[in-house]
Amino acid sequence: MGDIGALSSFLVSAVGLAVPLVLAALGETVSERAGVINIGLEGSVIWGALGGALGALAAGPYAGLAAGALAGGMAALLFAVFAVWLNTNQIITGTAVTIGSLGFTGAVFQSRFGVTGLALELPTVPAWEVPLLSRIPALGPAFFDQAVTVYLAYALVPVLGWFLFRSRWGLVLRAVGESPDAAHASGVPVARTRMLAVVFAGLMAGVAGAHLSLVHTGTFAENMSAGKGFIAIAVVVLGRWSPKGVVAAALFFGGAEALQFALQAVDADLPYPLFLALPYVLSLAALAGWFGRARAPEGLALPWPR
Amino acid sequence: MSTRNGPCERRGGSESSGLAARLRDVTKRFGPVTALEGVSFDLVPGEIHGLLGENGAGKTTLARVLGGLLTPDEGRVEIGGCEVALRSARDARALGVAMVHQHFSLVPRFSGLENIALFNGGAWTKRGMAAPGYRERVEARARELKLEVELDLPVEGLGVGARQRIEILKALMSETSVLLLDEPTAVLAPREVDGLFAVLKEVARAGTGIVLVAHKLDEVLAAADRVTVLRRGGWVLTREAASVSAGELAEAMVGGAVGGHLARGAAGGQRPTVDRGRTAMDERRAATPAADQLVGTADPAPVASLRGVTTIRDGEPALRHVNAAVKRGEILGIAGVDGNGQRELARVLARIRTPDEGDATLPAEVGWIPQDRAEEGLVNGFTISENVAFALHGKDSCRKGPWLDWAGIEETAAELVREMDVRATSSTATAANLSGGNQQKVVTGREFLRSADLLVAESPTRGLDVKATVAVRSRIAALARHGDHPPGVVLISADLDEILELSDRIAVMVRGRLIPVPRDAHNPRDIGELMLGARVRPDENADGHAGETRNTVRGPEGSTPGARSAGGGPP
Amino acid sequence: MSTTTLRTRPPLTPALTAATALLATLAVAAALLALGGYSPGDAFAALFRGAFGSWDRFVSFTLVRATPLLLTGLAVAFAFRARVWNIGAEGQLHAGALAGVAVAVALPGTPGLILIPATLLAAAAAGALWASVPAAMKTGMGVGEVITTLLMNFVALFMAQFLVQGPLRESRGVFNQTDEIPAAAHLPDLIPGTRLHLGFLIGVLIAVALWLYLTRTPGGFRLRAVGASPRAAEVSGRFRAKPVVWLAFLTSGAIAGLAGGVQIAGITHRMYENLSPGWGYTAIAVALLARLNPLALVVTAIVFGALSAGGGAMQRDAGVPEVWVRGIEALVILAVLTVDRSWQALADRGSRG
Repeated sequence: MGDIGALSSFLVSAVGLAVPLVLAALGETVSERAGVINIGLEGSVIWGALGGALGALAAGPYAGLAAGALAGGMAALLFAVFAVWLNTNQIITGTAVTIGSLGFTGAVFQSRFGVTGLALELPTVPAWEVPLLSRIPALGPAFFDQAVTVYLAYALVPVLGWFLFRSRWGLVLRAVGESPDAAHASGVPVARTRMLAVVFAGLMAGVAGAHLSLVHTGTFAENMSAGKGFIAIAVVVLGRWSPKGVVAAALFFGGAEALQFALQAVDADLPYPLFLALPYVLSLAALAGWFGRARAPEGLALPWPR
Repeated sequence: MSTRNGPCERRGGSESSGLAARLRDVTKRFGPVTALEGVSFDLVPGEIHGLLGENGAGKTTLARVLGGLLTPDEGRVEIGGCEVALRSARDARALGVAMVHQHFSLVPRFSGLENIALFNGGAWTKRGMAAPGYRERVEARARELKLEVELDLPVEGLGVGARQRIEILKALMSETSVLLLDEPTAVLAPREVDGLFAVLKEVARAGTGIVLVAHKLDEVLAAADRVTVLRRGGWVLTREAASVSAGELAEAMVGGAVGGHLARGAAGGQRPTVDRGRTAMDERRAATPAADQLVGTADPAPVASLRGVTTIRDGEPALRHVNAAVKRGEILGIAGVDGNGQRELARVLARIRTPDEGDATLPAEVGWIPQDRAEEGLVNGFTISENVAFALHGKDSCRKGPWLDWAGIEETAAELVREMDVRATSSTATAANLSGGNQQKVVTGREFLRSADLLVAESPTRGLDVKATVAVRSRIAALARHGDHPPGVVLISADLDEILELSDRIAVMVRGRLIPVPRDAHNPRDIGELMLGARVRPDENADGHAGETRNTVRGPEGSTPGARSAGGGPP
Repeated sequence: MSTTTLRTRPPLTPALTAATALLATLAVAAALLALGGYSPGDAFAALFRGAFGSWDRFVSFTLVRATPLLLTGLAVAFAFRARVWNIGAEGQLHAGALAGVAVAVALPGTPGLILIPATLLAAAAAGALWASVPAAMKTGMGVGEVITTLLMNFVALFMAQFLVQGPLRESRGVFNQTDEIPAAAHLPDLIPGTRLHLGFLIGVLIAVALWLYLTRTPGGFRLRAVGASPRAAEVSGRFRAKPVVWLAFLTSGAIAGLAGGVQIAGITHRMYENLSPGWGYTAIAVALLARLNPLALVVTAIVFGALSAGGGAMQRDAGVPEVWVRGIEALVILAVLTVDRSWQALADRGSRG
């Protein structure tokens, strides 16, 4: 029983850590498939966390989730206005959005709550227990006794898989990412498609941020996104730009982090930072083609027109 | 969509005007440049309408206006009898207008089917779902049009002809009243051109009006029912193809005097020369070691020679046992349809590529005017001096110790600008701000500065207007004949006029082989036959679509000499 | 056409771009501060006093904080000139700092004349090594460097965590940090009585060297040419792009690594987790504001150093939280991008005449 209990708590922790990554990375998958790499995703996550906190305090946890999504979407919209509409360099613009978001969320937070040392207490999103499934030993609590954001992540995987690879809109979106010129010649509004994809990614990253503040921790702290947006970009790479792959990769990243916490509790001498580095190393290996070639969309990070 | 309104809500085709499409007094400007000025044009259902003009005449602009890719500044566009305001290719598409671009607009990693589906999004899906039987419809349509297409492989792995067929099929999947083809033959081998025209005739028979943009007279005359000529953005004439001669069209395209000059400048005729004294440019050239070695020698030996050169590319031989030699002061013309190994030959000659077999004896430095001047010949964001420094930055004359001698380079560039008669729009001109002709003059002058021994010119006038073409050709001729130690020149071109005008000796490149052309076969017809693969049947020859070949009387027998070496001197 | 104008572009444009961008930033920041209920005037005044209020504030704070930004900014600018989008300066800096500390700690009793160069060289080498992974992946496999350099940042951060918690942990075993490096490895003061160390001078010297290299040597010309068009470089320049790309990666990595070495040898004297507050990312803003010009970078690094140094004063004297500084950094980048775009559009319209 002890083993099952340990496994179960490990899984709960791994899933909890993976879910924000799944959400943000699924959004980013759509954005990158449309040819836009948004390094400002980290900014959307932290705005999502803050928006979630403010929304939840004002009108309850579900309003918080909506506010978080909206805040993340706004940050992405700012990025898109520059990187898509003005056609500025995606990397530089994304960096600016991230730096600025970390700064301004801190500024908003401090002006709203002051620089107290006290942790903020937020109303959290309750878990929904799925009948029967949640009783499965070890797996049940981890996968089927969770907040709505987790189920949203589940639902999005097949939906996005269908959207990207089976639907007409997915075909259009991928064409924009692979070859914006060809897409344009086919009558596809390239800039508008990219705008929408980026904003969708921002909404998802916002939900991921709100999950951090309203599900995972129940509080908000400056810089609490802690690189989750950047990790999501690595997750997209390791997941080879497909929703299924992204989920697997996110669970892997989440698992590595959960393992690190578990090991830390057991034995402080284990080199747990190496576990945290492992997913990144594997992402690099994936790009290098160690387990099959991961090809980024051809038009990724390229401005358009030209 | 804002275009379908009022009485034109339902597109009836031709009930009001009987025309598939019509432009009325259309003007389109790009900044201060007027690309189209008050041009009117109509397209009858079921006709193939050739649209002729030199590069820059406005024919592509016209096609793009019709295709919804450009919005005219003035004038009206009518499709199927209704005035429309096309804001995008999608708008045009909805009205039955399809465009096949010069540079294919296929997504490389998508399959043929996916590409076709992308272009025909609405037809492919119902509420976003893949419609059942779509593939079958595509295949059926391909059979109808007698188009052989590969639907399942990513198009990035297909040849140009195969990609073009997908492009055409994709355009014709839905009901199409207007089909626009922008220079569709530019990328095709001659045989594929015939196949394309057969398809187009089939399509036209079904009632689609086809606009065929081209700049080759013979092709247009072979395929079109009517012809419209544009010049410098203005309309010149529209005629039945049957009632107009190639000469009339040529004159209409180039506007008389200029074209006459081009036609007269054949090999042996009077060559334009550049009068110049001994200049800083010469000094600089003389200072290079390669030039020094040869000063004062009479030099009977070739300045460059290839013996049995073979190169392998992607597992296939790109060059096969090529023998060639060129002497100082002579121009060796190498004719051929694009893609027969010319690119590889240029790379070998320029010393970028070493042969896998055989010997290449080449000067230490070789000038190379690459085909793609915008992407390879120049850096668009660099100024003229910086682009000159590109070729010269390794030479001692451009350095002071470890430093670049910018003052010297700028002096050289200024000299080049004067010598080559480069017209820069402003004093701080970057390459991007120069016209195509002036860009090419910069490249030509620079490559001559790089090497006074061997100059490789690869399609040096492609895409230039008539005047720039005359200027660049005369510069190349002048360089090859100038001074005591002129360079040897290898002129690689698909343009027979150019080859015949400039070359002392001619060879033809076919599938990696270099076939010499004897002097008595220096005419378009014989060389044209060699370019097509040397195995032309008389019956194909009789209705030969190469218009100018009709003028000559030689039969095909005399035109296929044995695989003799192109080396040695002129006969 | 005069000979001198064939090469030079309008000399004022870059400076004017930067100045316009800074003014725009100031305006937007002022508006946002006012919106947040602060007095922009007070905030800017406090910030300015904090950065330039006294000789000591300027030298010991502004210039000291400008030093790592100058070095990482140079690293970024050099790579960007070759269109190598190295956003991995942060990781390269950590690699450099780790290597520097490891060498310095391992060689106690060595005289400074040897130990300081050894420390800095180790740092530069480690930075270059860190950059060599994305370089190999780009040149060998065609994998874009944007993602790889970003991933390498995280590997470096965790590597640093691992080392300061384990193998390199201080012998007292109290904090997650390394032992202090020997005094002989400390960089000498540049101006006696201040905290400004030799590192700043090193940065300025490198800036001058890079500027000379880029504008005056064949190698620098090739680097810019590859950045502008790799295909033209091969065909018209007759040189291969790959070695140039390697050079850009390795030099950039080495300078970023040196930034880490200079920081530990000059200021912290030891390595710990989160050594850098994100200099490698701010460096992008620094380089961009300088229009990738190494000499201008000396100025823009000081501007950002001043922002950093003045932030504390702004919080103390005007009650504006220090985090605003980060927001202002972001505004600077966006303002440069906007001004750049607008001018490009204007130039496009003008040049067609």
